[in-house]
Amino acid sequence: MLNVLLWVGLLLTPTASATSSGFERLLDAVVKIDVREVTFEGGTKRFGSGIGSGVILSKDGLILTNAHVVSPEAVEINVTLANLERVSATLVGWDHWTDLALIRLDMAEIKKRKLLFATAKLGNSDKLHPGQTVFAVGTPYGLTRTVTRGIVSNTQRHFEDSRGVRGYETGAFNTWLQTDAAINPGNSGGPLVTENGKVVGINSRGYLGADNLAFAIPSKVARKIIGDLVKDGEITRSYIGIVPGVLQDLEGFYELAQNTGMLIKSVDTGSPAAQVGIRGGDILLSIDGKKVDGRFPEQLPDIQNQIASHSIGATLKLEIFRNGTSHMKDVKTEKLISRVGEEEAFEEWGLSVRKVSRTYAREHQLDKSDGMVVIGVRPGYPAAVSGLSRGDIILKINRQDVTSLEIAKQQHEAYAERPTSVLVETSRNHRVSLYVFKP
Amino acid sequence: MIRRFLFLIVITWTALISYGGPTLADMWEDRVKTVVAVEFFTETELDRRSTNTFGVVIDDNGTIVFPSQAIGPRVSPKQLEDFRIYFPGEPTTQDYSATYLGRDEFTGWEFIRVDEEVARERLVPISAYEEAPEPIVTDEIWGVGLKKKAEDFKPYFMSSRVSVLQNLPQRTAIAMSEVSGLGLPAYDQDGRFVGLSIGGFGRSFMQYSSRIRGGVPVVMVNPDESAVVMLAHEILPHLDRIPTNIEGRPSVWLGTNGLQPLDPEVASYLELENQAGLVVSEILEGSPAEKMGLLARDVILSLNGEPLPVLKPDQVVITYFQREMSRRNPGDKVVLGILRGSQRQQIEVVLEDAPLTPREAERRYFDSLGMTIRGFTYRDGVQRRLELKDHHGVIAHFVKANAPASTAGLLTDDLIDEIDGVKVTSYEDAESILETIAQDKERGEFVLLVKRAGDTAVLRVKLK
Repeated sequence: MLNVLLWVGLLLTPTASATSSGFERLLDAVVKIDVREVTFEGGTKRFGSGIGSGVILSKDGLILTNAHVVSPEAVEINVTLANLERVSATLVGWDHWTDLALIRLDMAEIKKRKLLFATAKLGNSDKLHPGQTVFAVGTPYGLTRTVTRGIVSNTQRHFEDSRGVRGYETGAFNTWLQTDAAINPGNSGGPLVTENGKVVGINSRGYLGADNLAFAIPSKVARKIIGDLVKDGEITRSYIGIVPGVLQDLEGFYELAQNTGMLIKSVDTGSPAAQVGIRGGDILLSIDGKKVDGRFPEQLPDIQNQIASHSIGATLKLEIFRNGTSHMKDVKTEKLISRVGEEEAFEEWGLSVRKVSRTYAREHQLDKSDGMVVIGVRPGYPAAVSGLSRGDIILKINRQDVTSLEIAKQQHEAYAERPTSVLVETSRNHRVSLYVFKP
Repeated sequence: MIRRFLFLIVITWTALISYGGPTLADMWEDRVKTVVAVEFFTETELDRRSTNTFGVVIDDNGTIVFPSQAIGPRVSPKQLEDFRIYFPGEPTTQDYSATYLGRDEFTGWEFIRVDEEVARERLVPISAYEEAPEPIVTDEIWGVGLKKKAEDFKPYFMSSRVSVLQNLPQRTAIAMSEVSGLGLPAYDQDGRFVGLSIGGFGRSFMQYSSRIRGGVPVVMVNPDESAVVMLAHEILPHLDRIPTNIEGRPSVWLGTNGLQPLDPEVASYLELENQAGLVVSEILEGSPAEKMGLLARDVILSLNGEPLPVLKPDQVVITYFQREMSRRNPGDKVVLGILRGSQRQQIEVVLEDAPLTPREAERRYFDSLGMTIRGFTYRDGVQRRLELKDHHGVIAHFVKANAPASTAGLLTDDLIDEIDGVKVTSYEDAESILETIAQDKERGEFVLLVKRAGDTAVLRVKLK
C-alpha cells in the first residue's frame, strides 16, 4: 500500500516545464470543494454530498468552479485551501448553461484564523493553439493538488447537452476547449492552465470510457460570466424560441451564397418566433441587419449569444428566407428559462415534485406549462399508496388547478393540519387519471 | 364354461360402450376435424414473410377464423397474400387455397374462406357440437394442439382442469395449464364445445442466475398454446360477423381518447359505489363525442342507462366500453351518463364511421429512394398531437437501411411536410413528386422537410 502511495507521489512531482513562479502560485490557488446539498428525490428531503475543485481568483475570496459542483441546492460548502485548512464558503451565483459557478470564502473566518491563500490569474483562451502544453490541476477522486499534463486538442469544440448539468441544459452559448490532460471525477471546477500558471479554462467533463477526451470552459467565457454573477448573482439571457441548425451542404438547395445564413431546425411551440410565423426549415439571414453565418456547428454558440445578449422585451429584426424570398420579422424577446423547474418535497404525502417548465411542457407536447411532475414517492406514504408514480404530472389537487407550487404547498399545509382524503388529478402520456391520498 | 364366461364379458363390454357414448379418444379424433393450420404471406418492401397460425372452422361454407394477433398492426390487408390451409397431420405437400375476408374489430377475429369444395367437405364447424354449460372450477376440459409445419401440423391431445372463471370482460375460464392450440376450441368430458382459447396471457416468474444478483421478474408467454378459454356463449352468437370487405368496415368511433378507469379509492371518494367509471383524457377534434359536447375529464358512468359494471382488474372496464361501442354501427345512438365536476348529466351521441386508419391508407414504395410513403390519417394526427388544420403531409412508413433516404437521416414514422420546398397537401401530390424524382436519372439530390416529436429537420437526400 505504501509502495503504491509512493508511486502516485512520484507522479505528482511537477515536471521541469512547469516550475515557473506563476505555476507555483497557481498551485496555491487551487482548492478542493466539499458540498452538502439537499435533494428532493424519493418523496422527502434528503442530503447528499459531492466533491469538486475550484480556483481562487481574487483577494476577496471569489472561487470559480463548475455549476455541476456547486448549485443553489448546496446547503453547506467547505473549501480546503492549498495549505489544507478548511474554510466555509457561500454561493454567489451559478450558470448551468456554461457550467460555471462562483462561490466566496468566508472572509471573516479567514481573517479570524489568519489564513493565507494565493490567487490565480485568468489567461487569454483565444491565444491557445492545438498542440500547446496545458496542465489540469484539481482533486480527482478527492486526491488534492493533483496535476496532470496534456495538450490542447481542439480550441473550439461544439458540444451541447440538453440535460448535461444536473438535468439542466448546457453548451448552447459556448464552445469548449478540448484537452487530453487526464480529467477524472473530482477534477470538475479545477483550472486548466498554461506553463506560466495562467488559467485558460475550467475543467468540466470528460468522456467516460474514452481515452483522454476532456473538455474545459474557455477563460474568455468565464471572464464574462464572473462579471455578471458578481454584479447580479445570475445570468439573464433572452429567448425567442428558435433551435439552430447548421447550413453546411444545404446552401446549394436554398440557392444561397456560401457562409450566409443559419438553418432554423425547429421553432418552440408558442415561443415568440412561432408567434410571428417563423418555422422549422426557414433560414435566418440576419439579426438587426447584422449578417448571420451558421455554416458549421462551432459557429452556432456565437449566434445564440447574439440573440441571448439582448435585453428582455427587446425587439429583434430577423431576416428570414423561405422559398426563395426573404421577409423581415420583428420578434420580441422573452426571458430564457431552464427546463428544470423548482423542486419541492411534500413530506406528509411522501411526494417530491418539480414544477413543469415551459421547456418541459414543450418536450412532452403538453398544452400548458401548468402542473408539477412527480420526481419521487416515498414507499408506504399516501402518494405511493394511491398508485402515483414518478413521471406523473399533477394537474389538480382537490379540483384546484396547480398553476404554481404555492397552490400545492397550501393544500399540503391544510392536509398536515387536518389530514383528510385528497383528490389528485394527473396526466401521464396525455392520459388523465384520478388518485386519492388517504391519511 | 370358460368360453361362456368370455362371451359374457364381451357382452358386458359392448353394453358399457353403447351406454357411455364415444370414448375420449374417439371424440378427440373427431374434433380434430374442426381445426386447420393456416399459412399466409406478407408482402413487404424487401421480402415475403410466411406466417403459420391455427384456425377453427365456423360454418359449412368453409369459413375459418384465427386470432388477429397473427397479423402485425402495421400490415395493410393489401399486403396479405396466398392464404392456404393444411389438414392436421397430413403431408404439407397438399395445401388448399383460401380467400381473406377481413378482420372483425369486435371479436378480434380474422376470417378466411377455403376455396376448394373438396377441402370444404372435409371440414366440420364447431357449431356441429352441442354447446357446453358453463364449466365450474375443477372441471376437466381438453382440446387439440398442432405441431409445427415440419411435423405436418400433427395434432396432439391436451387437457387440464378449470382453475378460475373471470369476466375479462367476456366470460373466460382459465385452466391450470394449456388446453389447446392458440385460438383453437376446448371441449368438456362429453365432447361439448366449451369455448375458444385466446392469447395475450403470460405467466410471471422470477429468474435467478449466478451472474446477476437477486432475481429478475420475467413474464413467460406460450406463443402456440393457451390455458385461457373464452366461453362458448361469448362466441357462438358472433359467428355471423363475417366481414363484407377486407378493411373491416363499417367501424364506429366515438372520439373519447385515453379512457382511464377510476380506481376503487377514487370511486368511493366520488361516492360511486358498486359501479365503475371511466375518465376521458381527451375529446378528439371533429368526433361524434365533440359534436355532442362531451368534454375532456368527464367521467363516463353509464351507457344507455346501465351503470358501467365493476370488473377486475380495473382496466377491463375500458375493454368493456370499447366493445360496447364496436359492436354498434354508424348511425346508432348511445346515451352516456357522465359526471362533470360534481354534476351528473346524460349526453346522447350518434356514432359515426371512423376515419381512415393507417392500415387502410394508401402506400407506395420507391426502391431507388429507399422509402415507403403512406397517406396521412387521422390517427397520425392524434399521435403527433396536431390540430385538425395541421393534418397534412405523408408518413415515412418504411425506410430501407443504407439507402438514400436512410443515409440522409429519414426515420420510420417521420412526418414528411415538404418535398423540395413544396408543401405536401395530399398523398397523390407526394406520390407524383417522388415519382418524378425517382424517374429522373440525372437528379443529384432532393430535400425533405420532416417533423419528428415536435422538431423539424431538413434532410438532404443524395441520389448520386
